[in-house]
Amino acid sequence: MLDNPHKTRTISGISATPLSGLGTARWYRSGERPDPGEVSAADPETERQRFDDAQEAAREELETEREQTRERVGSEEAAVFDAHLQFLDDPQLTDPIEAAIADGAAAEEAVDKAFGGAIEQFEGMEGMMAERADDLRDIRDRLLRLLSGGERTDLTDLPEGTVLFAERLTPSDTAQLDPDTIAGFVTMTGGRTSHVSIFARSLGIPAVVGAGEELAEIREATKVAIDAEREVVVANPDAAVREQVTAGRDVTVRENRVETRDGTEIEVAANIGTAAELDGAVDQGADGIGLFRTEFLFLDRESPPSEDEQFESYVEALDAFPEGRVVVRTLDIGGDKPIPYLDLPEEENPFLGNRGIRRSLDADSDLFESQLRALLRAAAAGKGTLSVMFPLVSTIEELTAALDAVDRVASDLDDEGIDYAQPELGVMIETPAAVLMAPEFAERVDFLSIGTNDLAQYVMAADRENEAVAELHDPQQPAVLRAIDRAVEAAHANDSWIGMCGEMAGDPDLTELLVGLGLDELSMSAVTVPAVKANITEIDRSEAVDRRDRALTKNTKSMVTKTVNQ
Amino acid sequence: MIERTVTVVPEDGLHARPASQVVEAASEYESRVTVGPAGGESVDASSMLAVTSLGVGSGDAVDLTADGEDEQAALDELETILTTPES
Repeated sequence: MLDNPHKTRTISGISATPLSGLGTARWYRSGERPDPGEVSAADPETERQRFDDAQEAAREELETEREQTRERVGSEEAAVFDAHLQFLDDPQLTDPIEAAIADGAAAEEAVDKAFGGAIEQFEGMEGMMAERADDLRDIRDRLLRLLSGGERTDLTDLPEGTVLFAERLTPSDTAQLDPDTIAGFVTMTGGRTSHVSIFARSLGIPAVVGAGEELAEIREATKVAIDAEREVVVANPDAAVREQVTAGRDVTVRENRVETRDGTEIEVAANIGTAAELDGAVDQGADGIGLFRTEFLFLDRESPPSEDEQFESYVEALDAFPEGRVVVRTLDIGGDKPIPYLDLPEEENPFLGNRGIRRSLDADSDLFESQLRALLRAAAAGKGTLSVMFPLVSTIEELTAALDAVDRVASDLDDEGIDYAQPELGVMIETPAAVLMAPEFAERVDFLSIGTNDLAQYVMAADRENEAVAELHDPQQPAVLRAIDRAVEAAHANDSWIGMCGEMAGDPDLTELLVGLGLDELSMSAVTVPAVKANITEIDRSEAVDRRDRALTKNTKSMVTKTVNQ
Repeated sequence: MIERTVTVVPEDGLHARPASQVVEAASEYESRVTVGPAGGESVDASSMLAVTSLGVGSGDAVDLTADGEDEQAALDELETILTTPES
């Protein structure tokens, strides 16, 4: 038989990530919808209303997906949805649509024609321009789906071990993928810089893109391997390929702990927002979790998660690192994140408003208590070591009140005869106040953790989202660097350990400086763990301290950067 | 109407985030704002479609024009966006 579906077959593409995988091919089927040319038009007024409704619904979907992507993948990746929102409202697209509808066209036909013309303009061009055609196709398909009343295809719940096959995946498709269950994806289109590849890297999912039309010949439910090194997808892989792919996986998983050349151990951990990201963290060889942002458990729902539901998520994280440590940050919510069941007032300045520990001790004290109960129970039930830290602490009173709340919860659990354990307790260093009070904080807790994104924002009074002040919002600003140094000294003088979570910790160019500053733990996006671990093994502690000394004497950012890069 | 020529610094040129920022800024001002390759044909800077179809890359020179009450502020902001490297 010419077309033997059991034959081994290798198709080349482009590896979007350095990860390999093994699983079962499942073809992505987007919802069926009528051919836009065959929809008959009602009167122009009705069609106009249908278009307006679809446009509004698309806007709402895009805004939701932008928030989800920001949470799950990253804010840089979420920017693509801003572009989509702008295309959606672009008069150069909406004017011809409205004109065609006024002339008697159905909304579907009008949308298809207007976008078709624009897509043609970009098609066949290279690089960035070709990607605009993808963006436009994505928006057109969204509008057509909404016009036919279709739901979004749900990719959040694919069977374990799925290798998703698709002609193309949109950013919103990719953002839904669960790195915990999916074994990888392969697309016919796309390149290394496509949205889909950037998302795959951020999520840590094995992926081959640009595999071409040949991919269509691989049937549903075929066993497939993604070999990142050879940049191929293999259907019906033989034992040798399967072994290579799983061995390839081991290469990225480094030794559990790393130390500098002269034997100083540095803990390298991953930042996560949901339990779904745990597998990625384990795969990348993280020693533990240095920042578990718990907000995600509370977002996108109508009522708060129950104590039991939280308990399960925390235990899952602890079980993923039986030998390691999981640092959970208690709820850090303020006026910038809409949560329907919380009464979050509009604030002029949400980042300087009622947020983090301030709300936990006040308006959200019930939520805080149920979170602490879930955490203390998880500390006893989970395999790893639990550490709990409080966000945005700026006074001793706040810290004392938070520690008292922990004691209260412990004594309640005791009275109720429920199993619990005392976690390690810590404070995040995010504000200038926390830096100045760090010695007093460190006396009262087990550890400190520097959140560099917020620390840079508050020390420099420079909004982290505002590109115009990006130069100021930089951890290599001497003021930020000196604040970090001060916090480290305070921690060590008071027998606390100190970590860093935030983008600075994951920048491989800064690893030596951070080791020199004396940080005991670095926590970052899972994908950068291998690079930072590799760096640490090359570092000599005394050289690193020397570099720190030189960097701290510099009085401009450019001089600091120069010292770092020397 | 005022005019200015600037060299585009962001790595992505007039695509992705910088393009979004230009469109957003241009839409916020009363003035009519245009952008185009230096010496070439200009387009409406508040249209994402028009701006991205220019194919302007990093290092290219572009002509900016603004016409209206707040033309000065509009061009200042556009210039900042186009001359600030991406973080």
